[in-house]
This record gives sequence, structure tokens and C-alpha cells, in this order.
Amino acid sequence: MLSTTEHRKLRLKARIRQNLTAYAFLAPALIFFVLFLAWPVVALLIQSFQTGGIMSPAKYVGLENWRQTFTDPLVVKSIRNTVVYSLMAIPAVFIIAMILALSLNTVRFGQNTFKTIIYYPTLQPILLAALMFTFVLHQDFGILNIILRAITGEPVNFLGNRNLALPTIAMVEVWKGAGFWTLLFLAGIQSLPRDLYHAAELDGAGPGRRFFQLTLPLLKPTFFFSFIFATIVNLQIFDSVFVLTDGGPVNATVTTTWYIYRSLFTFNEPGYGATLSFVLVILVLALTAVQTILFRERR
Amino acid sequence: MSLRRSFTNRPIASLQPTGAMMLTAYVVLCFASIVSLTPFLYILSTSIKETNSLFTYPPDWIPASIYWGNFQKLFGETNFARWTLNTLFIGIAITLLKLIIDAMAAFALAKLEFFGKNLISVALLLAVAVPVAALVVPLFFIIRSMGLLNSYWALILPALTNPLGILMLRSFIVSLPADLDHSARLDGASEWQVFSQMTLPLIRPGLVVHAIFTFMLQYTSFLWPLVAIQSDKKQVLTVGISSLKSNFVVDWGLISAASLLATIPITLLFLALQKYFLSQNMSGAIKG
Repeated sequence: MLSTTEHRKLRLKARIRQNLTAYAFLAPALIFFVLFLAWPVVALLIQSFQTGGIMSPAKYVGLENWRQTFTDPLVVKSIRNTVVYSLMAIPAVFIIAMILALSLNTVRFGQNTFKTIIYYPTLQPILLAALMFTFVLHQDFGILNIILRAITGEPVNFLGNRNLALPTIAMVEVWKGAGFWTLLFLAGIQSLPRDLYHAAELDGAGPGRRFFQLTLPLLKPTFFFSFIFATIVNLQIFDSVFVLTDGGPVNATVTTTWYIYRSLFTFNEPGYGATLSFVLVILVLALTAVQTILFRERR
Repeated sequence: MSLRRSFTNRPIASLQPTGAMMLTAYVVLCFASIVSLTPFLYILSTSIKETNSLFTYPPDWIPASIYWGNFQKLFGETNFARWTLNTLFIGIAITLLKLIIDAMAAFALAKLEFFGKNLISVALLLAVAVPVAALVVPLFFIIRSMGLLNSYWALILPALTNPLGILMLRSFIVSLPADLDHSARLDGASEWQVFSQMTLPLIRPGLVVHAIFTFMLQYTSFLWPLVAIQSDKKQVLTVGISSLKSNFVVDWGLISAASLLATIPITLLFLALQKYFLSQNMSGAIKG
């Protein structure tokens, strides 16, 4: 028989070994996590109080960057554009994807072919999608403008117009993203219990009522994930802006990430970029938290 | 009997869509298919035309003779082939490394008890919501202080971080029956043996989804390579192609040829692993 102290010792030893094993498994992931994710978030805060750093050593400037960030009209505009862009792109792509998912759920033949075709643009990098869109939008040879010219006789300068540029950038995201959300919503629809639909049908609910009072509420978990994911991705919009408009015309498509990039390579003021980055991190985390609470309460 | 029938999952006749609904659905899907594919077909058409012939109106959709000049210029005067190889090499390297790293971490989180487990789980979950684009400024300085700017390592190392993969694989491992590894441990198997010989083979579908997800994320990345790589020869495909547009006179034929060829690797991957792409395992797994 072991004494209590010996027993305790053995248990402690076993527990230490267990911990060592677990941390051996975790070590590579934790090292990269700390080095390239956790530490950069902390570094953002530090850099937001500094100036310079690229050519000359960084200097402490107190709250100068923060004051600058909230008074610089370009920064304010970049946040506004990013939010407006997301408010256009996300609802548009969700509504279109829902229509496509319902259509796919309705048809009996060719479902897989349609799925593949609609999903295809989703495979491409957003940069490539944007670049391909110049062949849709170009005033002279853009395919959309060729069609518009045939109908109205006038080409439209989508990217050169201050009011059209941002919606056009959103259009790229809709074209590229629709397939992804379509398949996600379709999987959601197809996993819903059919019994409920039979019951609703027996109670005399038509297709419209079944959609609004059964499908939509039942898909809440899918929407929850979708809204959070889409918000995180879309608030970082950069690639299509960089390749299509580079912030123009007249700063109409300046976005937060565009400004962060420019702060590093054009303005030579990484402190501004770090400050704005920190704001972006907080903004995304806050929106994610709000969405989580909203969806929990309504459940 | 009749009660039982009403609870089966078999569709009953009246729930079948009407003819009008079916027709609408087909019209919607055909329209969506045209919108999806037209840009691809159009760049195919422009890539085999001379750039100045693009500006004729009305356009000739299918040129009478194929012009190969754009492709010759792409391989002769730009680093397009290098960009493609770089992208593939970096993508595969990251995918393999991340697969091992994430599977190990996911195994520990799913199957082992240790101090700080909850803290790490919460940290990973929070980190999913951190927008990576916001980290380029500090990452630039970290990579620079390591002396790795403008090297493949600059692209590989930070990409090994994304915590989504760990959470996804963890949900796969958690769903495995616990009895299996208990009995293996009783038979004297070490945790490494349980991991490598039992867990990994059982979560193969999860590993494939993880690999696709990781590779796609790398293949589509743009901002970080743009920041971290200055040398054109070390650049990846996305940034390389976008640099074709920065010339004073934009060679649209060249860009369309490059865009067209850039779709090929990912299309081949898609065709080979279509089942995994379309089953929505990917987002389903992330959700879970």
C-alpha cells in the first residue's frame, strides 16, 4: 500500500507529465501564435504612440497619432467608406445567395452543374476577380459597357465616378462571393427537418409564408456564422481597391486597410497605420461581440 | 400508419414545387451562370487578340485568327512562370507545415488535460476575429528585425498562425469516440502513437478540408506579399499580376492572358477535389 504522501507525489508526477506532453503538442502552434498574432496586437498599441521607424529609429510621441487619427479627414473617410462598403456588399451578396440557394433547392436536374458554375468565381483570388472586372467595367472594351452602349448609347465610367466607384467595388465582392454563400445557405436549407414543412403545409401555409416563418428563423445559426465571418472579411477590403481605383476618384474608395498600407509605404508614418489598425481590430472585435449578443438574445 | 407516414422525411407530392416555381428557378440559375462565367470567357477572348483590337466597336468576340503574342510576352518578358512556381511552392510548404502544427495542437486541445486549457481555447477563439490586415504594420517590423524581409520565410512563417485551422481540426477530433484512444492507452500506446496512428487516419476528411482551406488562403493572399516582398523574382502570382497594371500604358491583352493562366492551378485543384469544395464541409467545419 502507498502512503498518502507517496500517493500524492505520484499523482503530482503524473500530472506534470501530462502537462508536459500536452504542451509539447501545443508548442509549435503556440510559438507561432504568440510571435505572429498575439505580439503584433500588442505591438500595434506600442507603435500607435510612436513616430518613424522605417528609415529612422522610432520615437515616442505620446497621443499625437491618436489625435491625428481622429482629426484627419482621410482617416475618418476611410472608416466611413469601409463601413458603407460592407453595408452594401454583405446584404447584397446574402440576398442574391439566398435567391440562388432557394433556386438550387427547387430544381431537379442539373443541380450539380449549376452549383459548380456558380461556385467557380469564388475560387479565384479577390485580386484576380477585381482585375477581371476591369474587362467588365472598362469604358471602351468592358463587356458591361458594350451592353450599355448597345442599349443606351452611352458608356458609364464606373470607376471614375465618385458615386459609383464604391458600389462597383462592392459589385466585385458580390460576383466573387455569391457562390460561397449560396452553397452555405443551400446546405443549411437542406439540413432543415422536412416534417415541419409538411405540418406548415397541412396548416395551409404557402411557399412565401413557409420561407419567412420557417426557413429564415430556422437558419439563424447559419446566418449567425455568416454575418460574423462576412463582417470580419469585408471590413478588411483592400485588394480590389488597390487594383481598381487605388483610393480614387477623389478618395471615394479610400478604405481602412488601404490607408494602413499607404501609411507604411507612401506616407512613411507607420504610427498612423498602427493607430488605425488598432481601431480596426477593436471595431471588428466589438462588432463580433455585438452580433453574438444579438443572436443569443433573439434565440 | 398514417401518423407514421406524415413523419417520414419523404417529400409528399404537394410540397413539390409547381411548374412556375421550377421555371423561375431555372431562369434565375441560367442568368447567374451567365454572369458567373462571362468574365472568364471574355478574358479568354481578349487574351488571344492584339490589345489595340480591343478598342474596336462593335467588338469581334471570337477573333478570326489566334494571336499568341500576349502569351509569348508573358513568358518572355515577365516573371510570370516564376510567380506561379513561387505561389505553388509557398502554398504547398505552408499547407504541409500548418497541417502538422494544427493537428498536434488540436489533438492536445481535444484529448489531453492540462493547465491553461480554457485560457488557450478562448485566446484562439478571440484571435479568429482579429483582422489580419490590421497586423501588417507590426508584422513588417517583426519580420524586418528577423532579417527575413524579401525572403520566402517572410511569407511562410506568419501564415502558420491562423487559429481557424486548429479550431476546425479540434471539432473533428472531439467527435471521435473516446473509447478508442482509452483502450489504446491501456495497451501501452504513447500519446504520440495515439495521435499519429489512430487520430490522424480517422480525421482524414478534416485534414483534406484543412489543407484546401490553407492552400486557398495562401493562393489568394495579396496584401502581405505586397508588403513583405520587394524582389519581382520572389513575388507571388497575385502581386505579380497586379504589377502588370502599373505600367504607364496598360497592356490589357497581357493582363488578360496572365489572369486566364492564373485561374488554371486552382481550377485543377478544384476539379480534383470537387467533392470537398462543394460539400461545404469547409464552412460547416469552421462553424462547428
